[in-house]
Amino acid sequence: MFVARSIAADHKDLIHDVSYDFHGRRMATCSSDQSVKVWDKSENGEWLCTASWKTHSGSVWRVTWAHPEFGQVLASCSFDRTAAVWEEIVGESNDKQRGLSHWIKRTTLVDSRTSVTDVKFAPKHMGLMLATCSADGVVRIYEAPDVMNLSQWSLQHEISCKLSCSCISWNPSSSRAHPPMLAVGSDDSNTTYGGKVQIYEYNENTRKYSKAETLMTVTDAVHDISFAPNLGRSFHVLAIATKDVRIFKLVPLRKESTTTGPTKFDVQIMAQFDHHNSQVWRVSWNVTSTLLASSGDDGCVRLWKANYMDNWKCAGILKGDGSPLTGLSGQPTAMSTVVGSSLQTSQNALNGTSAGRYFFPPLDPPRAGTRYGHLLPPSSLIEHCDAEPVVQPQQPLPHRSPSRVLLSLPEAEEQ
Amino acid sequence: MSGSKPDILWSPHHPDLYVICDSELGLYRIGPVGGTETKPGTLSLSKETAATLLAINSDTPYMKCVAWYPKHEPECLLAVGQANGRVVLTSLGQNHNSTCKELVGKEFVPKHARQCNTLAWNPVDSNLLAAGLDKHRADFSVLIWDISSKFAPETSVAAEKIRLSFVDLDSSSVVTKPLYELGQNDACLSLCWLLRDPKLLLAGMHRNLAIFDLRNTSQKMFVNTKAIQGVTVDPHFHDRVASFFEGQVAIWDLRKFEKPVLTLTEQPKPLIKVAWCPTRTGLLATLTRDSNIIRLYDMQHTPTPIGDETEPTIIERSVQPCESQIGSFAWHPSSQNRMVVVSASNRVMTDFTVFERVSLAWSSTTSLTWACGRHLYDCVEDSTGGTEGAAETDIATKMRERAQSRYGHDTVQVWRNHLLAGGTDPQLKSLWFDLFYMKQCAEDQELKLQGNKQSVVYSGIKNIIKTSSGTTESRRCWSGSDRQADVPRFYSEERCLALRLCGWISRGPDINVETFLRSLEHEREWERAAAIALFNLDIRRAIQILNKGAMAENGDLNLNVVAMALSGYTDEKSSLWREMCSSLRLQLKNPYLCVMFAFLTSEAGAYDGVLYESSVAVRDRVAFACMFLGDAQLPRYIDKLTNDMKEAGNLEGILLTGLTKDGVDLMESYVDRTADVQTASFCMLKGSPGEVLKDPRVQCWIENYRNLLDAWRFWHKRAEFDILRGKMDPSSKPLAQVFVSCNFCGKSISYSCSAIPHQGRGFSQYGVSGSPTKSKVTSCPGCRKPLPRCALCLMNMGTPVSGCSGTGKSDEKVDLTRENKLAQFKNWFTWCHNCRHGGHAGHMLSWFRDHTECPVSACTCKCMQLDTTGNLVPADSS
Repeated sequence: MFVARSIAADHKDLIHDVSYDFHGRRMATCSSDQSVKVWDKSENGEWLCTASWKTHSGSVWRVTWAHPEFGQVLASCSFDRTAAVWEEIVGESNDKQRGLSHWIKRTTLVDSRTSVTDVKFAPKHMGLMLATCSADGVVRIYEAPDVMNLSQWSLQHEISCKLSCSCISWNPSSSRAHPPMLAVGSDDSNTTYGGKVQIYEYNENTRKYSKAETLMTVTDAVHDISFAPNLGRSFHVLAIATKDVRIFKLVPLRKESTTTGPTKFDVQIMAQFDHHNSQVWRVSWNVTSTLLASSGDDGCVRLWKANYMDNWKCAGILKGDGSPLTGLSGQPTAMSTVVGSSLQTSQNALNGTSAGRYFFPPLDPPRAGTRYGHLLPPSSLIEHCDAEPVVQPQQPLPHRSPSRVLLSLPEAEEQ
Repeated sequence: MSGSKPDILWSPHHPDLYVICDSELGLYRIGPVGGTETKPGTLSLSKETAATLLAINSDTPYMKCVAWYPKHEPECLLAVGQANGRVVLTSLGQNHNSTCKELVGKEFVPKHARQCNTLAWNPVDSNLLAAGLDKHRADFSVLIWDISSKFAPETSVAAEKIRLSFVDLDSSSVVTKPLYELGQNDACLSLCWLLRDPKLLLAGMHRNLAIFDLRNTSQKMFVNTKAIQGVTVDPHFHDRVASFFEGQVAIWDLRKFEKPVLTLTEQPKPLIKVAWCPTRTGLLATLTRDSNIIRLYDMQHTPTPIGDETEPTIIERSVQPCESQIGSFAWHPSSQNRMVVVSASNRVMTDFTVFERVSLAWSSTTSLTWACGRHLYDCVEDSTGGTEGAAETDIATKMRERAQSRYGHDTVQVWRNHLLAGGTDPQLKSLWFDLFYMKQCAEDQELKLQGNKQSVVYSGIKNIIKTSSGTTESRRCWSGSDRQADVPRFYSEERCLALRLCGWISRGPDINVETFLRSLEHEREWERAAAIALFNLDIRRAIQILNKGAMAENGDLNLNVVAMALSGYTDEKSSLWREMCSSLRLQLKNPYLCVMFAFLTSEAGAYDGVLYESSVAVRDRVAFACMFLGDAQLPRYIDKLTNDMKEAGNLEGILLTGLTKDGVDLMESYVDRTADVQTASFCMLKGSPGEVLKDPRVQCWIENYRNLLDAWRFWHKRAEFDILRGKMDPSSKPLAQVFVSCNFCGKSISYSCSAIPHQGRGFSQYGVSGSPTKSKVTSCPGCRKPLPRCALCLMNMGTPVSGCSGTGKSDEKVDLTRENKLAQFKNWFTWCHNCRHGGHAGHMLSWFRDHTECPVSACTCKCMQLDTTGNLVPADSS
């Protein structure tokens, strides 16, 4: 069950992007009002706006955090054809007294001749690197050679994608087996040709990014793209927001040591959902890449989850305006919850916040006879294992009776 | 608008009323779907709303255009433009008050009959109604009528004419004299009053857009263009006007009326309606003919013009409110971004809201935030819900909970880790018991042989069996039965070890499962115990167990029946018992009961019914195989099972693979499937440092797990994990982080740090606690020059802080309470890495409680505010 509450954002125009920092304690938002706001989570879980400043002379499309080991650093990109890098400065201004921190612009990246549509920091093991993409179809990769000096960024790579770019995503895998890789999505609306997602990989030998894969099956405009956190998996997972939600699996094929070309992938589509009934706007993975959230023109946020058989299912629907969801077919519980929640909403509305409660539709239980079904014995058959040491006479373990097992747990917290 | 094509109008003042006009006028009220009772005549518009038809007005034939009276009273007053150019006032309201009665039925008749194209009420002076008509060479095309004008004064001039042309007309309500006449010998296709000045009327004429000023009708401002249809003023930006021609929309700025400020991408089909959203700035909706999508242009991003270079941003979107082709649409006057759409053919209506595009993000701590329009929503998983089963909990949440309960940290009673993980996952249970048995065996072997047998134990049954030699075969009797069993059983030292790893026996060389059976009985695992007893050829014990199970509390009485069936066992090949058992056993639901009869009815050496019964735990099947499969069959079976487990990523298979390369392969498919790097990391830490821990995949899992702990701010857990890892894999220990050198000689000032570089106790060495062996700690051990002073108390580093207990007493450490530990931290010497001034931690802290700048004179460093990450508190501290 998820509980939604509203935060008084106080942006004067559409908010285009929300971004969390590494620890999930800070949040940045950017808007068509040309500003970026930084939010800090207080001890009681409330979000407080601690900084708000005008960043660009146009709509700010995206904002993103660098890894905290590089300091408190944000990057933003805008319709004004620039991307900018911002650093929080503490101790040099008196804003602290007013509860506001001070962000200063470290650099403006002015290479693009059109609107910069996305900006993303590379995974931290690559150093302080930044990729931007622009409406004229160019991906640019910048690097700050000296991480202490954020005002110097050098343009390392320029990749021409030939199609208007709308979004980029770095492959977050830190494994040495996976060279740096990024995926680019295009919002080109001409559906007569495919390949709206291109994947580029860094080649150690040529020191250049070269195209490793083009997803030809994606023919509609792509609005967002996101690599799943890798977590040591042997393959990559890519979520795409186009006219539907798509999840692709990229399995690197074992490369012969002699070949120097880009990695070849076995591209499989894992899931495809048109539940939004229209364009899908954004996709986002949770930290373990086991939950995907998507938003679409139906005004809903949908959550997707895979079961053990790699079957992706809808795990929850939330209305984008925070109001409770009603009239959902096949969800008898939804109606009953609405009654309680609307009451709660009206109460909280008086306090300036609103809350709604949502129940997730039950996931289908794993079906018997599927690939993993036969390998999982019913849990009742395995219960026995811990009994064995209990009565082993040779073992001098007096405290192992099952009733005391839980009592003899090591103290959970000692700090 | 032709007669067949419907149009739709919202009431300007009633948020729930609208009119559909095609051949007649239909007034509808929109409301929420009424729970259970669905009134007849209610039309569903969406999941939440429905419309009721309130009134139909078919008094006015040949309708060409309709306009709703803009004032509150009289409500539901409509002006209808007809094909003959007349404008009729009509009403759909029920309450006919006097003013309304007076107005309804009034007609405004042009001199020459031709089609009326458009109507527009003046928004301020609501008596003024502008009508745009087709061209007539002797007449004007824009007529502005005053609806309050009395017919009386006109009778003298016009009544005669009227009588001539419309004899049967009720002349009392006919007006023929317009207040203003504009646009001679021209056609007017669209009209709208300008909001910035109600005296100005914008008209789409034949080949130009014209602005007429009622104060001076002789003059007009005009611009030649083809885009003259559907002129409409942006309600939020009164100088902005949209008009269209064929498939192209032109946006005009009335301050720079020479040319359109922008034209939108041309559509292949001609447009039929263009409308500004009344509830949001700069949102324009357009509709083309024969289409089921509405195209939206978001123009609010237009930056204020700085120079000629700036081109406005337009976010173009298309929405599809319904499946059928759209006839017309209308924005709701007050509800945010809401519109009602009517289909072209059969008057199907849809209530539709254009949602803002939602952008969203997950935080590392499983909360989801999204932005919708200008609003932010924060959504946290409510763990108190408790309605979901453990299986549905996301692995991220599970790993967090497990990290909190110190999962993986029990290195003695290894099996208990599965309880720390919640005790609900059978695979984890199997895994941690495997590791527990492996550890036990390894410890025993070490005692016995002092040799390097550990690697054998941890290499899994698959490898143990491969090394097996000297297998002896024996035929044993059924215990408790005189009959000779025709069952060969195999024995070797390695097989015995394998049985131990399976948990069947505790210590060799005898194969005695009695303790195990008793523990199973204790756990009420009757079927399993009976099966294992039977596999050990003790049929009497098996029957006894089943009886016990049937008699136990809540026991299954059917177990007695099974026992009965067992007792009738006969090894005669062609007996009825055998025949029936082999066919009926498949109907038994419990897999262990099933395999019992499979065992009894199968030929020696052909135990597929047992070995491939996938619901039986892997460890039981493997133990069975070790007892009853010969040297030729056993490795084949184990290999096959291992491969199945590896492919499935089933942790039960760790029993077979051990912590080897194979085990890493298995774990890889487990991680691929579940993302549970936590289990993978802790499990592989038990493996041999050389082979397993150096595997890049294992390193990758460990790094990812540490990264997760960091992201969750479980820093203490991360540190504990690192300590555990350091024990298993000494090479993973990091080097000393800080090296403090003397200002004078440049040598390290630490006494023992150089001797034991990785002790990790460096800080207290700089301080004053401990180190009782050192005579003088306030000077550099190299050059004997004094160490730096505390900026506050001006004592040299190493001088005890007065009033602090526990200095120099080594026995103090034994009963250190939390308070004392913190008190000692006050004595630590600390410094700002920016200005490099420092002192005793306690002194510095108390200074910065009241000050922001460094205590050293003329130093303006704001030492305490430099590191923001330091402000974050670990999430796992208590």
